[in-house]
Amino acid sequence: MNVAKNDIPKIKNFSKALRKSILKMAYIAGASSSHFGGALSIVEIVSTLFSFKMKINNDPNWEDRDRFILSKGHACLAYYAALSEMGYISKKELETFEKNDSNLLGHPVINRKLGIDFSNGSLGMGLSLGIGVAISLKKKNKDNKVYVILGDGECNEGSVWEAAMAASNFKLDNLYAIIDKNNFQQTGSNDEIMSLGSLDKKWESFGWETSSLNGNNEEELYKYFSNNNHSNKPKALIANTIKGKGFSFSENNNDWHHAVLTKNLYDQGLKELE
Amino acid sequence: MSDNSEKYKSIFIESLAIDKNSFSENVKYNEIPEWDSIGHMTLMSGLEDGFGISMETDDIVDFSSYKKGLEILKKYKIDI
Amino acid sequence: MIINERNIKMWSTIGSRATFGISALELAKKINNLMILTCDVSTSAGLDRYRKTFPEKYLDLGIAEQNMIGIAAGLSSEGYNVITTTFAPFQTIRCCEQIKVNIGYMKQKICMVGIASGLALGNLGYTHCCIEDIGILRSIPGISIISPADSFETIKSLEAAVKCSNSVYIRLTGSKNNPIVYKEDYEFQIGKAIKLREGKDLTIFSSGAMVYTSLKVAEELEKEKVSCNVVNVHTIKPLDISAIDEAVKKSKFLISVEEHNIIGGLGSAISEHLADISNSPKLLRIGIKDEYSKGGSYDFLKEKHGLSVDKIVKNILSNFKKA
Repeated sequence: MNVAKNDIPKIKNFSKALRKSILKMAYIAGASSSHFGGALSIVEIVSTLFSFKMKINNDPNWEDRDRFILSKGHACLAYYAALSEMGYISKKELETFEKNDSNLLGHPVINRKLGIDFSNGSLGMGLSLGIGVAISLKKKNKDNKVYVILGDGECNEGSVWEAAMAASNFKLDNLYAIIDKNNFQQTGSNDEIMSLGSLDKKWESFGWETSSLNGNNEEELYKYFSNNNHSNKPKALIANTIKGKGFSFSENNNDWHHAVLTKNLYDQGLKELE
Repeated sequence: MSDNSEKYKSIFIESLAIDKNSFSENVKYNEIPEWDSIGHMTLMSGLEDGFGISMETDDIVDFSSYKKGLEILKKYKIDI
Repeated sequence: MIINERNIKMWSTIGSRATFGISALELAKKINNLMILTCDVSTSAGLDRYRKTFPEKYLDLGIAEQNMIGIAAGLSSEGYNVITTTFAPFQTIRCCEQIKVNIGYMKQKICMVGIASGLALGNLGYTHCCIEDIGILRSIPGISIISPADSFETIKSLEAAVKCSNSVYIRLTGSKNNPIVYKEDYEFQIGKAIKLREGKDLTIFSSGAMVYTSLKVAEELEKEKVSCNVVNVHTIKPLDISAIDEAVKKSKFLISVEEHNIIGGLGSAISEHLADISNSPKLLRIGIKDEYSKGGSYDFLKEKHGLSVDKIVKNILSNFKKA
């Protein structure tokens, strides 16, 4: 496979930039705290999509753009950071995160000028939206793709499986469900709260072309998204990740599901990114 | 009697919105696209209106063809 | 749709559900980007012919209402004119949060049609009745709520809802042989109540299948020398407050009649407005008194809940004397 020389370094740089913005926004959130851990686990996925895989440009409303839906809406720090790297949201606006009257709340609120295509946050709804969009794209004969990121805990919701069943019934080969399998949900690990069993077998049995990989590894993500040989099935990617990935104090520590980032930790985080 | 016969036929044609040239007395429920569940209800409404009768549920359900309809209407004293 | 006496009678005979199906078929001929989504209810919603004629404008999502609303929102976001339909409780309560998030909060425009609302399917039990839908949806900002008085008004509501720029919920009540309220063409506007009968003493506000009942009630009251206005409040949200204000000025006593819980529906909406008016006349809310009774036929249940013509007349007369 030919790896365009600059592709992977570009993705890695994008990931670094995302982590820097996430750190900043989490610090700005102050006492309101933020969903730090779950945003960090999807950084490499978001970077690979926004800097490499997705067909997007500097117009957030470009009709021929690929679509992105953050069904696990609480991971919005990564999403806002990516939209900022794309130029849709200014660095200044990122600093309004969770402030009064802000466009950037703790879960995405639709704002097409800023590139936020949908409101998310109530878990289990994003994949259905993705199906509606994917069907629309096929009806309009566009070859664009729809990328939906879901959480593993989110897969507790029955509505996810309604959507999973429908997508394969409608042969939506333009739809990707990327499950951020960081093994934790709010109150504890998935295994403690509601064990998911074999996630990949479940998606496969629902008729999805299913793959697994290390979701924090840009090379693996690059290889997966470079592959254009696909069936007529929708695609499920089980991305094994580490919640809180990227900072020593947050990795695999579920306290960082939603927590306050102090000045000390902010400074420490910046040092670790150097 | 032939008046009733013409009336019966024209109610069929009008209610089901079928082409009078392709109409056949062998027509049966669900065998032509126009005589589907909605067409059936429209037809029953048209017959009730046209002949001034009110049909029982069982008769509405059993009304499966033009010819069967002739038998059913006899119950309501409509002789065709 | 050709509006004539014959068709009005036909729509009445086939009932509001099948009329909805016919109306949808006509709309699909004119609206290119129309999409109708259902949950395994094509025949029940009169959509069989539509499904066969316009398969590319139809999606059956199986028994998965939450998914249906999400998909509807996705389609709407891409410029499609979307109608969703299934039985009223599943259309409104099963996927309530999806309605809140996708339709209310995100403002994706969708027209939802709840079939067989109220008590029509009482012999199937209250899982298939709906006496809560208006109350629940009224609390979600941005959704107009219409309950057509007869089959003809069902067509008018659907045509208006599809053209409207915000989301609408259409609540279909009644059964086959749906009594006719409108015998000829008339002007229908979302949010504008229609006075069907003039009177000096009382005003009855009603919507849905109870409008015809209310007209019959007014006729009976006339025999008792009580003269009633009857107002068809087909749009419960936004409420036509000018119609309420007029009644406040001219009537000694107000009544609301609905096939819905007296908590949350039309009566509650009117009360909310009356609360802002000092010295408003009393409002008697007639409807289901916040309970799930044992099941039975539509007529049986209406009688049980005091929604038959006789019971409403007695109720009004005894309360009017006291007022």
